[in-house]
Amino acid sequence: MTMAWIEAVNDFIAQGGPVVKLILVAAVLLWTLVTERYLFFLWVYPRLRRQWLQRWNQRRDKHSWYALKIRERLISEARLQLRRTLPLIKILVSLSPLLGLFGTVNGMIHMFDALAVFGTGNARAMATHISQATLPTLAGMTQAIAGLYASQRIERRVEAATRHLSDQLHFE
Amino acid sequence: MRILTWLLAACLLLPVSAAAADLDQLLAEVKRQQIRLSQVDRQREARFLAEKQHRQQLLAEAKARLKALEKQAEALKAEFEANRQELLKLEEKLQASSGVLGEIVGTVRQVAGDLKADLQQSLVSAQYPGRAARLAPIADSKRLPTLEQLHTLWTLMLEEMTEAGKVVRFQREILASDGKPFETDVVRIGVFNAIAAPGYLRYLPETEQLMVLSRQPEGKPLRLARDFLHAQGDRAPVAIDPTRGVFLEMLTHTPNAWERIQQGGLIGYIILALGAIGLAIVAVRLAVLWGVGKRVEAQLADVEQPRDDNPLGRIFLTALGAKSTDPETLEALLDEAILREIPPLERGQSLVKLLAAVAPLLGLLGTVTGMIQTFQAISLFGTGDPKLMAGGISQALVTTMLGLSVAIPLLFLHALLASRSRTIVSILEEQSAGLVSQILEKRRG
Repeated sequence: MTMAWIEAVNDFIAQGGPVVKLILVAAVLLWTLVTERYLFFLWVYPRLRRQWLQRWNQRRDKHSWYALKIRERLISEARLQLRRTLPLIKILVSLSPLLGLFGTVNGMIHMFDALAVFGTGNARAMATHISQATLPTLAGMTQAIAGLYASQRIERRVEAATRHLSDQLHFE
Repeated sequence: MRILTWLLAACLLLPVSAAAADLDQLLAEVKRQQIRLSQVDRQREARFLAEKQHRQQLLAEAKARLKALEKQAEALKAEFEANRQELLKLEEKLQASSGVLGEIVGTVRQVAGDLKADLQQSLVSAQYPGRAARLAPIADSKRLPTLEQLHTLWTLMLEEMTEAGKVVRFQREILASDGKPFETDVVRIGVFNAIAAPGYLRYLPETEQLMVLSRQPEGKPLRLARDFLHAQGDRAPVAIDPTRGVFLEMLTHTPNAWERIQQGGLIGYIILALGAIGLAIVAVRLAVLWGVGKRVEAQLADVEQPRDDNPLGRIFLTALGAKSTDPETLEALLDEAILREIPPLERGQSLVKLLAAVAPLLGLLGTVTGMIQTFQAISLFGTGDPKLMAGGISQALVTTMLGLSVAIPLLFLHALLASRSRTIVSILEEQSAGLVSQILEKRRG
């Protein structure tokens, strides 16, 4: 089962050329980061939030300028923690179509090379290269769309969590 | 009549002046003569009659012979006609039977010619050289092929068929890519590919020799081929070229990475230079930010001792050194200190971003100029040669590829830089005031 799966991926890479491999690496990195964020929301963040709430609630002074700044600091720290890998996820998402385009241009160059060697007579050699040229775009687009959705979800989650935290840190 | 004439002549010849005495004599003489003459005449007549009879007999004889001969001729003519008819029939029969045979000879010759061409191009001939030459006498001669030649044709055809389905290993002298011959183990996979230790081989039909491909396919196909040489057991994976060498041939024509970059021309070099500059800036800035980040984190862990080797510590020093602890003064002081610290952190980022944006544009420029050149070539030479056009377009696209291959890593690295510096900046902007408050509260107790 897994062998068949690996074989299918290998076939896809072989068909799409080296750039697809690069897209695949980007995909693995992207989804690892996304999974890491979700696990962070699930396990790490609740504990951190409890610590921050505890630190705030232990304070007697909750209304001076100092208290305001300390509260801001707590929220900022939380946001930094929550957003930690989000920029990387976003850049991976935006790079995917570019990588696809790169693969396409590469495939087109190969196609025109084949054309230069064989002339227009060998339609089969040409078709192989065109399919090789279009596969990276397909891969890049698919990844970008799925990644965009994931990154938007995380972004919203970060905002919600930050808002929730600032609501809980009562400033009198 | 003739006799009468003779008589007249004789009378006229008589001498008129002869004596009368002589006349009786003369008369007697004439009578005598007359008798003699008539005797002669009778004799002649008889002779003539006999002759006539003889002739008539001869004529009859001849006529009879003619008749017989005519009869004979008739018979012979009939026989001749019959023979002629039979001859025609036989000739027709001969033509019919030799016609089929002629067709067969033609077919044999054609098949031999085809097979000769096939064997010349076939990879199997590298293992068994000289096979095509054995077919030459059949294909080229005008005479009927001998039974032996027919057998040769048959066995060669069978041999080619069976060999086409085999994977065999044999010793053979092959040519290195620089043309030097050397002896080595060769594995032939059907009629598709031949592999030796240096990699895939090319078959040269003219000399029936194998030559190492000047450029081997990269990566997996070559690795598989080399592993296949030492494969144990009866099954091993290998990559073959089903076009019998056309794809491998194409491979030797495709330029490698460096040749490809050279195709990009001046614009290609400019793009690469910009990329190198961008990478250098990124490297320096990442090192700087990494150092600053480390020191800021150290300072965060040890808030009590502000040091002036990091932005956060300098802000602390400014805030704690203030004479008054009035919030408004403090806020103004902090803002000023933070504003001073941010620009050095974000230095170089806009340039990297600019380079990342310019590289694809330059690539586009290169593509457009390349296309212009291509179309100029077309306007000169027409579209008759698609190869000319395709080569130009492929070159034009190289700059686009270079632009993208510079822009993608630069964008990625810019994002890394930006996120790193933003983290530090947000610590300075949003957390420094809180930290200062914390310190002051602690000192006050």
